[in-house]
Amino acid sequence: MTHVDPKTEGATPAAGSYAAKTRAWIQANLTDELRTDRCLDPGATLQQKIDFEAAQHIGGLTGIMWPKDYGGHGLTVREHLEANREIGLSPMPNAVNSIGKELAGPIIMAVGREDQKRDLLPKILKMEHIWCQGFSEPGAGSDLAGLRTRAEKTADGWKVNGQKIWTSGASKSQRCLLLARSGKPEDRHKGLMLFAVPMDSPGIDVREITSIDGARSFCEVFFNDVIVDDANMLGSPDEGWAAATRVLSIERATNRMYRSWRFQSEIDHLVMGCQSDNRTYKILRGYRRELAQCRIDVELLKGHVEALVDDLLDGKEIGPRGSFPKLFWSEAHQRFAQMAYEIVSRFPADSNQALRDLKARMEHIYLTGRAETIYAGTTEIQLDIIAKRILKLKKAA
Amino acid sequence: MFDDLDPKEFEETAAAVVDACASADDAKARGALLGEAGLIGVTAPEDAGGLGLPLDFAVPVLSAAGAGLLGFPLIEAVLLAKALAPVDADLAGRIASGETLATVAWQGRAEDGLVAAAPLGQEADHVLILRADGSAVLAQTGNAVTARAVPALDVDAPESAFDISGDLTGPVLDAASVATLQREAQVLRTAFVAGSSDRCLTLAADYAQDRSQFGKILAANQVIRHRLSRDKLAVSTMRNGLKRALKADVEDADLAIEATWLGTARAGISVAESAIQVFGGMGFTWEVPLHRHLRQMRAQSAYGAVAQATEGLGDRLIAARTNEWYGEIEHVV
Ligand SMILES: Cc1cc2nc3c(=O)[nH]c(=O)nc-3n(C[C@H](O)[C@H](O)[C@H](O)COP(=O)(O)OP(=O)(O)OC[C@H]3O[C@@H](n4cnc5c(N)ncnc54)[C@H](O)[C@@H]3O)c2cc1C
Repeated sequence: MTHVDPKTEGATPAAGSYAAKTRAWIQANLTDELRTDRCLDPGATLQQKIDFEAAQHIGGLTGIMWPKDYGGHGLTVREHLEANREIGLSPMPNAVNSIGKELAGPIIMAVGREDQKRDLLPKILKMEHIWCQGFSEPGAGSDLAGLRTRAEKTADGWKVNGQKIWTSGASKSQRCLLLARSGKPEDRHKGLMLFAVPMDSPGIDVREITSIDGARSFCEVFFNDVIVDDANMLGSPDEGWAAATRVLSIERATNRMYRSWRFQSEIDHLVMGCQSDNRTYKILRGYRRELAQCRIDVELLKGHVEALVDDLLDGKEIGPRGSFPKLFWSEAHQRFAQMAYEIVSRFPADSNQALRDLKARMEHIYLTGRAETIYAGTTEIQLDIIAKRILKLKKAA
Repeated sequence: MFDDLDPKEFEETAAAVVDACASADDAKARGALLGEAGLIGVTAPEDAGGLGLPLDFAVPVLSAAGAGLLGFPLIEAVLLAKALAPVDADLAGRIASGETLATVAWQGRAEDGLVAAAPLGQEADHVLILRADGSAVLAQTGNAVTARAVPALDVDAPESAFDISGDLTGPVLDAASVATLQREAQVLRTAFVAGSSDRCLTLAADYAQDRSQFGKILAANQVIRHRLSRDKLAVSTMRNGLKRALKADVEDADLAIEATWLGTARAGISVAESAIQVFGGMGFTWEVPLHRHLRQMRAQSAYGAVAQATEGLGDRLIAARTNEWYGEIEHVV
């Protein structure tokens, strides 16, 4: 039984708008295997996800703000926001190449040479190059400036030795955005360089690590006398760290802009799933206050995102304020996931298919959600940033 | 027409006037100062003695009031000066100028014979009394409507109750204007709490960098730094949420305003509680004003029926079917 009520229709985007175009595209292309609210076995293969993402580019869902010369659509943050609202509201899978689109791409755009931009950027959008991010090391996590992977100048380029860890998606990537140092470890932030390293270079060894959800996505990456051409250096030596932090602060503001709507969509799924059985609806009723609090958080998160978008449009520096949405979202989303997990763990044994799908999704969100306060700067690091750079608290009288 | 005006400019004016109010004798005197500066009639139409500005111009005004522990029912007066204008422009003008002190009884209905939660009701000339059909009457205090002292948490603008004996007379606001007034009240309260909690945070951050224990300032300790960072996040969340909720193109303005208010009300209280903790024993004294901030924010939460409204939002949420992507799921309830 398909139920349509006026509220559902009210949420439909205006005809002809970028949002409407996006929604129509998703409706036409999001298959059951790809949907994260259907737990089909087997689900979509990696190749199907890659093809889907390449098609998104043609459909105008990715590369929206990138210049046309580099394969983008040359539109504004407004269209980007409209499309991301629709992407978020839908049960679309997370991007395979988010590192490429949200990190490597913007860095290349900021510090890359013209020939690098023309070569590398379109390949990201066409999914010819999936990227991974080689920053963290066993001895350099929160204290990234303590990284030890060395890049030594040679006659024909650079020789890289060292080890990276927690490199998401490394085993399926074609390129690695590598942060390495040309000087001594004592130099800390100085002498850090960025490279675009082809993952099939001799001397690279990738080992997958199984994460708490059983997935084998993040990896250890070993670099053993890996030769990287000068042509694959991004920006000048010494510029690496500065470029990385500048881009990261902007990226904290604009990337995964769909996040608040995805969060909203997960609440919608929880609610509408529970409406399919009187028993689960009764369970849900017991959580009405917590649920309201989650929905309140979604609205407040949108406020943080829009404040940063406004600042970007006004040409203002984002700087440490990028910490606000990251910190707020990660903790609010974990609270939601904890509540949702508790709710679905109470579902009756003879639940219908919709409830079984909902349960599987919420369990997955709960487990993977534990990473949200760890990656992209842990909660403690975000709090340190706010204390030092926004509140400017002294440490000594 | 407002192109050359910026809500930010109001911030400084408002802060200066609120400062001046601190040394005024009573609420009436404060009303006169506020009225003269145009702060009460900020959103009221010009033909009723107001400035005719959009609601976001009232935000810095109420923020300053919250920060400055203003002993005046400014939220109520701003709302009434605007809402009353089409009904009784003369009275609206007197409220805007501060000549007449008006308040709102946020709890109870006329039909109950008793209404409550009216800030500074004891000193008010008029009180807005809500009725069961959604409309409201702005009654003169005195004969049929008499103020009654009740235990009040807020010491700067203590609330009172009103006994109603006999027929209510006075200008009437219809249900639609009362609904608008309630909605705008959420905006003004959010601004008030944001200002109040921001002040608590500033006081706590200053204290933590001044007071030393174990041979170092309190702010040298990461637990204290992180506590203050969380409070900063809370205050920024209020301000950014409110800014978005007041944008012309916001997706669902009613939800955005309500959610921002409900989130702010809870967070503001926790920022004040946190500041008291940072002050240690000093924080527990009458002299340090943190308890006054806590009291006034608790009072606003009660006036704004935060607990009930959160449950109401939850009820609406669990009954809603707002996402067409899940529309195929069977709906049996
Ligand atoms: C799912 C996932 C995907 C990731 N993907 C990538 C990737 O693709 N590429 C990449 O380069 N990295 C990636 N990371 C790594 C991530 O950036 C690091 O895990 C993170 O920076 C923390 O470093 P760490 O794990 O070494 O923890 P540590 O830095 O050792 O921290 C351990 C704990 O101590 C706390 N802590 C550390 N320093 C302080 C301090 N000064 N004060 C108070 N507390 C402190 C931390 O907050 C944390 O709770 C990923 C991580 C996860 C979980």
